[in-house]
Parts: sequence; structure tokens; C-alpha cells
Amino acid sequence: MNTKPYTSGLGDNAVVITRVADRQWHALDDDLVVGRGHAEHRADGRLFVVIDAWHDVIFDRLAEAMTAALSAPLYTVVDEADVELTAGWRRAGFTIRRREWEYVVPTDPQVTGLEMVVPPSGVTIVSAGQADENLLRAVDRAIREEVEATVGWQSMAAEVIPRPEGDTIVDPTKYAVAAAPDRYLGLVRVVRVKRPRIGLVAVRADEQRRGIARALLADALGTLHRSACATAWAEVDESNRAATALFDGIGARPMSSNLELVR
Amino acid sequence: MTKHKNVIEVEGRVVECLRSAMFTVELENGHQVLAHISGKIRKNYIKIMLEDRVLVELPPYDLTRGRIVFRYRN
Repeated sequence: MNTKPYTSGLGDNAVVITRVADRQWHALDDDLVVGRGHAEHRADGRLFVVIDAWHDVIFDRLAEAMTAALSAPLYTVVDEADVELTAGWRRAGFTIRRREWEYVVPTDPQVTGLEMVVPPSGVTIVSAGQADENLLRAVDRAIREEVEATVGWQSMAAEVIPRPEGDTIVDPTKYAVAAAPDRYLGLVRVVRVKRPRIGLVAVRADEQRRGIARALLADALGTLHRSACATAWAEVDESNRAATALFDGIGARPMSSNLELVR
Repeated sequence: MTKHKNVIEVEGRVVECLRSAMFTVELENGHQVLAHISGKIRKNYIKIMLEDRVLVELPPYDLTRGRIVFRYRN
């Protein structure tokens, strides 16, 4: 355990920064925990750090201790509206790696303009709960391999749900798919806990730009609309122009943004 | 109210979502605090919404502020 005392100005006693575990730090002011830092690997292997502190000076000291002890690159996520926190990470040398917009998506077909949307010739949309599980897993694996071979999942929305190794489909009933006679071409996942969330829209690389993603969204949003859900939400990477155009085109509105920072 | 490792934690309910990623949380005792979300909640993309039941950590020297450290499912 490493300890590093310094005078914080918060009280008569010095605040001590202590590494309490391999990837965990505490700032202690006379035995009170006045700040905490934590680092954790994501499934993609990247190391993410977080700091919770009640004062900037403690944040800075925790950041200093953590960045000195951990190997770069280090990542963190902040709500862009949280100016104070963002400034703290910038002081620690972090810079913006990417921005992810949180969209509120209307479900009413008369608002989205998806009322008359039909899938391209030879493609049918299989609604959530009716997809063949083996074909679903096959298309999920194929799309992920395509992404890994190109831009990588690091550029995709955060995937933080723990899953069995080699498997990304936790609940097949949450997926609607675009089906060709011999295979599935794309999928959309909608999770409905409190506020419906469009967690993933993806189409095989050789089937893109045919309107399949739009048809998948039409089905998923239509289903939500019929069950009296007026809006859903989705996160879209700012640099993903196709996804941004897709959501902008159906009347979705960016409401907030998250920044991924790196040092 | 629980006190764990010298940290005061209180259950509450989100009664207002403010700008700057802040929330007004009404605690069990009726007091309201201005709260932000913890790094772990942020890192795991857990969304805090109006009416959510949450666990709030209070600083030892300012009981008008708080940090949301857990969101209950119901």
C-alpha cells in the first residue's frame, strides 16, 4: 500500500492519497474518504479510470497518483455537460478521443416518416422474438468480425454488459432481424427497461446502403409505437456519418453527449 | 442511512433532472440535495431519470451536495 500525504486546505489535517488495491485509490482526510479513484479493464482490453472527489484539488491529486502508476493509454467517459469534471480530466492531460450523442427517437411513423418504408427486394424483417437463434448468432458474429477487421469496436457505442466468452447475444428475443432466404443480413436490438433503448443497429458490410437499417428501425420503432412508447433513445458516435444521417433523417434529436477522453 | 468506510449514504428519489449533469434528489428525511453521478455509474452508461430511486453519498462537510452511487431497479 502506497501513501502520499499532502496538505489539502480542507481541514487541519493533511489529506493522504492511498493506493488501497491494485487499481483503487482513496483520498483520506482524517480517516474520512474524501475522494476515490478506480481503474478497470473493459472487455475490449482498454483501461478506463474514474475519480470521485468533492474538491478539484483532491481530484487532481488522485489523477496524478493514478496516471503515474498506470500505463498509458488510459480512458475515461464524461458527460459533456459536466464542465467541472471534464476540466479536471483535461488538467490531468486527457484529450477528447470521440463524442457520442444521445438521441431521443420518436416512434410515431407519421413523425419518423417510416410509415411506408419496406425492406429491399428479397429481404424480410423478422420482428423481435421470432428470429432463428442460430442464424441470429451467425449474423452477429459476422458483423462483429467485420467491425473488428475495420474500425474496431472501440469506435462503436460502449458495450459494457458482461457476456459469456465468445457470445454477445444475451437475450435473443430482443433482436429483430433482416432476413434473406439463406441468411440474416442485419439486426436491431431494443431493450425495454423503463426507457426503450436502441442498443444496436447493424447490417453486414456487403448489404449496406440498401435501406436495410432503415427497414429494421421502421419495424422496431413501429413495435414500440404500438405498445404506447412515444420515444426511444440511442447513442450515436459523432464520426459515424451513416448512423447520424439515419437518425437525423427520422426526426431524432440529440439531447446530450458523452465524451471519451484518452491520455 | 448507512455509514460505510466513513461515507454517509442515504436513499432518495430523483425529483428533478438539471443541466450540467446534475440532479435534485429528495432524501428519505425529506431534505433535497444537489447531486451528480459517480464515475462508475457514468463509466457503465447507467442512465439516471426522473423518479429513479437512488443511493446518494454525502460529503462529510457539506450535506447539501451529493453523489449518486447506485440506481435501484425499481
